[in-house]
Amino acid sequence: MNRSHSHESTLTRQAKADRSAGRALSPSEPMIDLRQVVKTYESSSQPFTALRGVSLQVQGGEFVAVVGKSGSGKTTLLNLLAGIDRPTSGAVSVAGTQLHSLSESQLAEWRGRTIGLVFQFFQLLPTLTVAENVMLPMDFAGIIPGAERRSRALDLLDRVAIRDQADKLPVTLSGGEQQRAAIARALANDPPILMADEPTGNLDEATRRSVLELFAKLNAEGRTVVVVTHERDISRYTDQQVTLVDGRVADEAER
Amino acid sequence: MTPLLFVKLLRDLRTIWDRIVLMILAMSVTLIVFSGVFYTRGIIGREMPRAYLSTDPASATILFKRGLDADQMEAIAAEARRQPGIIDAAVRTQLTLQVQQEGGGWGPYPLQIFVAAPDDPMRIETFTVEQGSWPPAAGEILIDRSSFDLLNLKIGEAVVVQAPNGAPSSLRISGVVYDPALAPSFQEQKGHGFMSAASLRVLGESVALDALKIQVADQPGLTVPSRNRDVIVAAARDLAGWLQPTYGVAVLEIQIPTPYAHPHQAQADSLLLGLLVFGAAGLLLSAILVASMLNGLFTQQIPQIGMMKAIGARSSRVLQLYLLMTLVIAVASTALAILPGILISRAFAPAILDLLGVDAESLAAPAWMYGVVLAAGIGVPPLFSLAPIFQISGTTVREALDYRGVESHRDSTTRFGIWFSQLRGLNRIVLLAFRNIFRRRARFLLSVGLLASAGAVFVAGMSTMAGLQASLVRERELRLWDVDVQLGGIDQTSAVALTSLAAEIPDVTRVEAWSIVKTSVIPPGQQFSVTRTYPDQGHGSIAVTVIPPDSSLVAPPLVLQGRWLRPDELGAVVISQAALTSDLPGVQIADTIQLSIGGRFTSWLVLGIVDPVDHGGGIFVTEAAFEAATGVSRPNLLRIVTDNHDEETRTAVAQAAESVLTDAGIVVRSAASVSRSEAARAGHMLPLILVFLGLSIAMGVVGFAGLASTMSTNVLERTREFGVMSAIGAPASTVRRLVVLEGIFTAVVSCLIAGIPVPLLTAMMIDYLPMSGIFRISIPGVVMWVVVVVVGAALAALAPASQASRLTVREALAYL
Repeated sequence: MNRSHSHESTLTRQAKADRSAGRALSPSEPMIDLRQVVKTYESSSQPFTALRGVSLQVQGGEFVAVVGKSGSGKTTLLNLLAGIDRPTSGAVSVAGTQLHSLSESQLAEWRGRTIGLVFQFFQLLPTLTVAENVMLPMDFAGIIPGAERRSRALDLLDRVAIRDQADKLPVTLSGGEQQRAAIARALANDPPILMADEPTGNLDEATRRSVLELFAKLNAEGRTVVVVTHERDISRYTDQQVTLVDGRVADEAER
Repeated sequence: MTPLLFVKLLRDLRTIWDRIVLMILAMSVTLIVFSGVFYTRGIIGREMPRAYLSTDPASATILFKRGLDADQMEAIAAEARRQPGIIDAAVRTQLTLQVQQEGGGWGPYPLQIFVAAPDDPMRIETFTVEQGSWPPAAGEILIDRSSFDLLNLKIGEAVVVQAPNGAPSSLRISGVVYDPALAPSFQEQKGHGFMSAASLRVLGESVALDALKIQVADQPGLTVPSRNRDVIVAAARDLAGWLQPTYGVAVLEIQIPTPYAHPHQAQADSLLLGLLVFGAAGLLLSAILVASMLNGLFTQQIPQIGMMKAIGARSSRVLQLYLLMTLVIAVASTALAILPGILISRAFAPAILDLLGVDAESLAAPAWMYGVVLAAGIGVPPLFSLAPIFQISGTTVREALDYRGVESHRDSTTRFGIWFSQLRGLNRIVLLAFRNIFRRRARFLLSVGLLASAGAVFVAGMSTMAGLQASLVRERELRLWDVDVQLGGIDQTSAVALTSLAAEIPDVTRVEAWSIVKTSVIPPGQQFSVTRTYPDQGHGSIAVTVIPPDSSLVAPPLVLQGRWLRPDELGAVVISQAALTSDLPGVQIADTIQLSIGGRFTSWLVLGIVDPVDHGGGIFVTEAAFEAATGVSRPNLLRIVTDNHDEETRTAVAQAAESVLTDAGIVVRSAASVSRSEAARAGHMLPLILVFLGLSIAMGVVGFAGLASTMSTNVLERTREFGVMSAIGAPASTVRRLVVLEGIFTAVVSCLIAGIPVPLLTAMMIDYLPMSGIFRISIPGVVMWVVVVVVGAALAALAPASQASRLTVREALAYL
């Protein structure tokens, strides 16, 4: 990653922010640590258990794919990792932070500094331009100085090859371009972890491949990447593949 | 608030400008209604007492049985001024004249003359001379400005009048008077004039004054008239008790109207109350409207809120964003409403004051009211939106990602919807539309609440008017005669002689001789009767109606307690509820009351309490009982039935009766068609009807605007859903029909809900009116509202429905 001087200083501040969000990780400590996580959804008919005692460790800098059939609990797992959901039981630790100890607002702030999220349907804010969408997480986190935000957003858009679309509204972009913009937004605060939920699910074959290659490139730069996907050939890009079956990690399920 | 969020706010507002405009307009309409009535209330509430008090009204009038000459009365007044607690005193008299019509014959409208000594300093019960000067010379008269049209008079011309004891004589109209202490002539169907005692001789009346007007302070030494009627009553009684032996005068009664209150204060209070109720209802509607529309707007943004939180936004930032959005809308709508609200009050307040006969000194509302309106306009929308704003700000990412525009949990409403959908024979789209209205239950309830509130106020307003109209109709039904002939005094001629004379008049089918005699209540152990009568001798007074034994013209009014009179009942009275409330509080059936009739003290057993009627006094007795108590057997009123009940016949008979009786040497005060009293009553009702009608319509407009905005929000929120419907083959017309049906169903449910508070609201309004009204639910009002709200709902839903039906599948699914 070709970072400017100001971005270096930004990252220094971010490291401090990371420490403030959780404790500093020791080299042997996993970036993501799930222990016996159970997630049960209450419904009017009967409770539904999406995850049944999942334990998982992901080391910093790993590229992990979570695969499985529909309803196997993939998205639930990602939501727990991103602090979008809370486990019914068990513990979730991400980047040294025990997520159960944070309130909703603290989780939002933590997410803004620690996690870059990418969704299947891109979820760009329709009334902001592409560049503004990328700058918005910087506004929320306040790590990047205001004067540097636009140039950083343009740099990030350049990295995902849509700099020329910077001042357009999302609706004018193709699906692939919108997903690239969403990835640029996920990188806005230079988070150590990228998480993506079916990032290629809504894209054509060529765009799908280029998006996965982009994730691989970001991983190669040292980021931890967790992708929930149906992609069959995802193993070409990943270090670890976690298969979920009926809410359990596959090898456990098979036992 | 970050700069980008501010940019987002502005662009969001621009993107949904049509709904924002609708929202701002709807809120502006509400605020205009609220501020208009609020300012009007402030202006009337200030101007009416100001105008009345500018006349320096007397605290009390001590009326003597016989008048004294001006010098004697002035000596009494001078002595009265020296009594402790008496601020000032003046001597006056008054009489009622007949006015000759153009081309001869006495006109139907009496002219009440207020008389003061030429050298009266006019410090009490004053008036403004707009043309001419006070005092007018002997043979001249000043006329109240509202009386010219009624009596067909012109300044500078002479008018031929006849006093009770005099012959026809001519008075020159030398000026115009504005007296805000008097009700306008068109309302009272009576003219007012002002002249000096020097003109009494011209009229053939003795130059005597019989009324001592006093202003009473709370304590000796104070110069501000008391607001405490009890203090005034005590001071007036003491003074009367001292005057009677000291000067050898006989006190007829003491008249003490409500201190500081214009004779139409009750009417004005009722108006103000009506305005206040409507203003408060407008504010309530505004609050519901704001909460409903903003809730819809925020709900639509749930996915975006989730996404902002997913990328690091705290709840407080989201809260700031939507609070600012609410403030922008509130400020814009307030800015739009300020001027129209002021303009409405400046048109509305003078119109009402005109009906009450009062000139406004200023049409500016009190300054604090502008502050209240600004605070209400800017503060109320955010205040009532706080709950939805906090709720929406607290949306978690998970909730936002799961959001599909449908509440996830099931409840009885949904179960009802499912049950409903299982009914056979109903069109699938109709079923779907019905179930859809319950999907956003909070919004649905707010929309229904808004429409139901507007509908309830509209129908209650219409029902109140219907109740007043029904009361008029009932009065007409109870009034079984066509012409009233008021004689100059009681005990002139026997009933037989009078009825024989009148029966000879062509077109007359029946004549009855009645009496209506002013009375006053004497509290037990007291020497003087104290009434609430105003100087016009009409407002605040009560009278005894004497019913002839063989009367076929009396339809007994609705008996509330006890029973009605038997033909020859002796020593007993039936009292109207209104008289009971104002003059005989606490009196019950079988109590004994003392009445002063013509200066004679009489005792009566209370037999019954009846609904108020306007064609008689507040107390009813039989002819036999009246004669036994007072010794008076000769009537002062003829009630004549004509063969045709048209106005032409009534007028002709009235004129003929007056002519026949006058020729027979009987003094006639007035002879007129009963339509005159109906016109007087309608005159009293007119301001109220105008208020209710105008404000009810405004409420309807507010409700409609709210519905339009809500429907628009409902449709936009489900853009994705419509995309899915199109994707699975729903034609555009089906989408359109679905949305329009949802609007209509919402309207229908609101109509059903509105039916609940309508009877209560109507009963409350009728109860507070100064005139008697009958409880009625206005069927035309109900039909009008149902039609307006259903058609309005369909129209309101049509535009967003068309928009939804034009969406492509891709546009709809990409919608965030």
